[in-house]
Amino acid sequence: MHNEVPEIGPYPTHREVAQDVLGKFQVISSRYWITMAVLGFLVLLGIVGFVIRLNDGFDNASRANWGYLVATLAFIVTTFTAMPVISAGLRLTKANWRRSFTRMNENMALTGIVVMALLIPAIIALPPLEGRMSIWFEWPQGAPMLWDIMGYGTLVLIGLVMLWTCAVPDLAAASEYLPASPRQRFIKWLSLGWIGGTRQWKIMYQATLLMGVMYLLTYPLVQTLMISDFNHGLLPGYKDAIIPATVVVNGLQGAVAMTLVVMYCMRRFAGYERYFGIDQFWALSKPLLAFSLLWFYFFWASFITFWYGRQPGESEILRFLVLEEYRVHFLISLFLNFIAPLIALVWSPVRKSIWGPTIVSVGILIGAFVNQVRLFVSAFSVVDPGQHVLDPRPATQWPAAPDVMIIAGSLAACIMVFMAISKIIPVVSIWEVAEGLRLVKVRRYLNRHVRVISKSH
Amino acid sequence: MYYRRTLTDAQINKELLDVVFRTPTWWVILVSALGLMVAIGAGAFGFMMNKGLGVTGLHQPVFWGFFITNFIFWVGISHAGVMISAILRLSQAEWRRPMVRAAETMTVFALMTSLLQPLIHAGRPWRIFYWVFPYDWARGIWPDVRSPLVWDPTAIITYLTSSILFVYTALIPDLAIIRDRSTGWKRTVYGILALGWHGNPRQWKLQGIAGILLSALILPVFVSVHSIVSWDFGVSLVPSWHVTVFAPYFVIGAVHSGVSAVVTLMIVMRKLYKLENYIWEEHIDAVARLLIVVATAWLFFFWLDIVFAFWLKEEQELTVWNLRLFEAPWSWFFLVFITASYIIPVPLWLFRRVRRSFTWMLWTSLLVNVGMFLERLIIIVPALMRKGPWTFNYDTYAPSIVEITLVVASIALVCFLLLVFSKFFPLIPIWEIKEGQRLIEEVKVGNRVVPALVKED
Amino acid sequence: MVSTKTKKRPDHKWGMVIDLDRCTACQACVIACQSENNIPINQESTFLEGRAIEWIRIERYWEGTYPNVKARFLPMLCQHCDNAPCESVCPVYATYHNNEGLNVQVYNRCVGTRFCGNNCPYHARLFNYWEPVWPEELKNQLNPDVTVRSRGIMEKCTMCIQRIRRATRGGKEVADQSFNPACVQACPTDAMVFGDLNNSQTQVSKKWEDERGYRVLEVLGTNPSVKYLKQVEVDA
Repeated sequence: MHNEVPEIGPYPTHREVAQDVLGKFQVISSRYWITMAVLGFLVLLGIVGFVIRLNDGFDNASRANWGYLVATLAFIVTTFTAMPVISAGLRLTKANWRRSFTRMNENMALTGIVVMALLIPAIIALPPLEGRMSIWFEWPQGAPMLWDIMGYGTLVLIGLVMLWTCAVPDLAAASEYLPASPRQRFIKWLSLGWIGGTRQWKIMYQATLLMGVMYLLTYPLVQTLMISDFNHGLLPGYKDAIIPATVVVNGLQGAVAMTLVVMYCMRRFAGYERYFGIDQFWALSKPLLAFSLLWFYFFWASFITFWYGRQPGESEILRFLVLEEYRVHFLISLFLNFIAPLIALVWSPVRKSIWGPTIVSVGILIGAFVNQVRLFVSAFSVVDPGQHVLDPRPATQWPAAPDVMIIAGSLAACIMVFMAISKIIPVVSIWEVAEGLRLVKVRRYLNRHVRVISKSH
Repeated sequence: MYYRRTLTDAQINKELLDVVFRTPTWWVILVSALGLMVAIGAGAFGFMMNKGLGVTGLHQPVFWGFFITNFIFWVGISHAGVMISAILRLSQAEWRRPMVRAAETMTVFALMTSLLQPLIHAGRPWRIFYWVFPYDWARGIWPDVRSPLVWDPTAIITYLTSSILFVYTALIPDLAIIRDRSTGWKRTVYGILALGWHGNPRQWKLQGIAGILLSALILPVFVSVHSIVSWDFGVSLVPSWHVTVFAPYFVIGAVHSGVSAVVTLMIVMRKLYKLENYIWEEHIDAVARLLIVVATAWLFFFWLDIVFAFWLKEEQELTVWNLRLFEAPWSWFFLVFITASYIIPVPLWLFRRVRRSFTWMLWTSLLVNVGMFLERLIIIVPALMRKGPWTFNYDTYAPSIVEITLVVASIALVCFLLLVFSKFFPLIPIWEIKEGQRLIEEVKVGNRVVPALVKED
Repeated sequence: MVSTKTKKRPDHKWGMVIDLDRCTACQACVIACQSENNIPINQESTFLEGRAIEWIRIERYWEGTYPNVKARFLPMLCQHCDNAPCESVCPVYATYHNNEGLNVQVYNRCVGTRFCGNNCPYHARLFNYWEPVWPEELKNQLNPDVTVRSRGIMEKCTMCIQRIRRATRGGKEVADQSFNPACVQACPTDAMVFGDLNNSQTQVSKKWEDERGYRVLEVLGTNPSVKYLKQVEVDA
């Protein structure tokens, strides 16, 4: 069993790991520039799409135009920007296999910039609070613009601070490795004079822990804001207490899936096979299966309550979001986010492979996007959220050309941002991987080899 | 450190089998006292059946009261077993070892006790088995599968069956140890129960596979059981019950309540059975940290429940919450509940000194369960008291002496069954402790020696 | 799945209309129901315990302050909802909707879990907390057509199904107003009208279309078979 599992060993030293990672980090190939150029073009396309939508303005009639932008925003928040949650959570459980991809996940925190950029038009597109239900109840001062920006902004800020804090030792290493250049000087400035003394390490550990916990606590709050303001508050007669928890869990599924897909891309296109190996894929496949099961569980909890109760208002919402208008979206999401992962990941050989979790994750990400369309495009197409019951139900809204442009541009922006930051902050966490190498040994036990893992405190 | 390697096999055998071979006086006294309480409970039940449910405090429209609260409470406690056993076994957490059997056994007995509650609360319990058993004994009418009250026993009996299987398969190696140290009829009985266990590699392999399979399969059952119980309330039309969040809210509340009960059980066991060598500060420290996470997740769901209760500003829902939050005595119960379930224990658990103190952990875990019992009462009774706008029958509810006796008797029953169990089977799994001892290793990092564990893949 | 259409009842669909303008809250309907359906005797202590069994009850609400006080009466009985929330929650099929639009209660199947009582938004369902006891002399007034229920069973208004069965036995044609439930029969002001809603010529069908008509807690979507006619406001 152990013999099949390839290892990093025999124990590269810290220096070897650093040289390997920094070697790849230093080189900015032409392939990189070409990819950035293509992505840049898509971003421009997205801006064009945005301007086309801007033409129609933000009133009641044109609110439906912004549905796809909000869906994209939700998708990014629940996949790209949720990746640091995986990092923070696994760090708290002290799982060893997390060490190679924590930095990659934290680098994604920078996609918060894209989130904030998309957030502004999304909030402006919301109808005024008067006459409709909202999470802001009787104190709408500054709501939702101020509070949403503060909420999302806090998450993004904590993510960036966490990224920076955890990266400082590697930035110091990188600044010593790189030849002098504006890039090297910038990285040196970012490394805040890190020498690696005991006191500095102690502060860094505590800061990492604190930032991680804060990110973990802020994430559900932001998800609650997202779903309450942009979906729940726009659907009349809808009272669904579980929906914030549902989107948190869906977001975690998306984050794990995105981690797997990005790891695969790093293996395939950037040559990081040594760091993103079977251990990582196998270990992440288990929470992926768990979250896929939970996807269905949280959906069902909401569904059975509405379906069984046969209340007129709730039945209309059910028809709108699940059974009639957005049925296709729901079925696609059900299949890609629950049925397919369940069938695939139940099999051990599929879990314990590179391709298995990756293919399932691609399906999950597509399903997640379709699910966001189902939740947000539908809500934004409601003309009068102040009604008592959703009657008549608005028709299904399919994407138009500007929508496709905005989607492509936003996703391209996220990837661009990630690629850019990965040339400033090394995408593999050298100090964490090296720490792991010190703590994990392979020993003989009776007549086989086993891994011995010590836990540092 | 729980990585101490200080116990010999002989010592483990002797200490953990002590109660099985020798009956201490305290055991006899305790079992007699608890048995008496159970007998009083049985008498109270007989009295209630003879006279009618009028001897309880129930009246129009409060149809469900203390008994259903007790039902939910015990199903909640039963979730500890799976949390500790299955999830910690699958995640290979070392600190689970002393707790698994006690937790699983408590699950089995808590489930049995919980199944008693809907039986005793029914108007005609002597008919209930006949009508709800899934066979059309009379007139070709099967039980109505639309009813949550049919889903309940299905789920609970599934969970009970799998838990009994779990306890039994994990018991087999220990039964063999007792068989090998007994004579006469004892040897015969334990021999039959041990199913011919000889501890050869093939049997150990099967044992391992069985443990992992059962753990994985019992997880969906664990999530679904309390969700199904919560849908007794969720699918009804009672205001403040018809909420989508009940399923995960109840499950997480059950884990919170159950794991706290395991802490109580462990500390009491340690005292009574003199298990200082097996239950260390590290164990309750680890459980307390788990509890912080679980309790905070519970708080999130509780917050969702409250916020969305006010969402649509429906009059009847507001009336119910007004009763719960602002009208005595429910406002006092609410205050005690939230203080006891979260506000006191969790901040205390943030301190290492508290987590490692047996006295503090005992009292905080008991406090949690007092709070959680009150929580169930607060969910059930006020909602029924203010179910409709029929102010003509607004009334109060107070449990009668019969209801209180039966609830106390249920606690006595679980403790009684646990004590009797410990006379025949060791409460701490001998083979798991021995296995844990063999997995202890050390790793030299720099000039420090760090304790380590052999990790099974 | 979620149907708001009323199911077609081929033979009869029983319904009732109660005119609140005519109701004087004399409680004759309550007494008549009790006599007809073998309902246990409610003493003062039973009322104080909150366990009084009244298949039809008069809810009385005061409005305003002295001297401009008004009393509002609402005779509340089982609404025989077409979309009854009480039916799907019974584990033993002790309550179901029959072909004539009535929600029926099967006493000998009920085990007393009381979930149906929780789910009824009208508080129309009642539980026998005690074994009903009649004094020896009153046992002769028990109606032989109606089961005497023991403790532990749920019960509620049946629209005097024994009278319906007697009238429709053999499938013969039923003339409008040829029989009525006990409460309707006893009402001195003819505030209550009962009949077949399938037949558009019956009194109840005509009153069903009255502009004063409303159904209690209609927003819950229970689709009751009982309609109330609003009281006419003299000063409005």
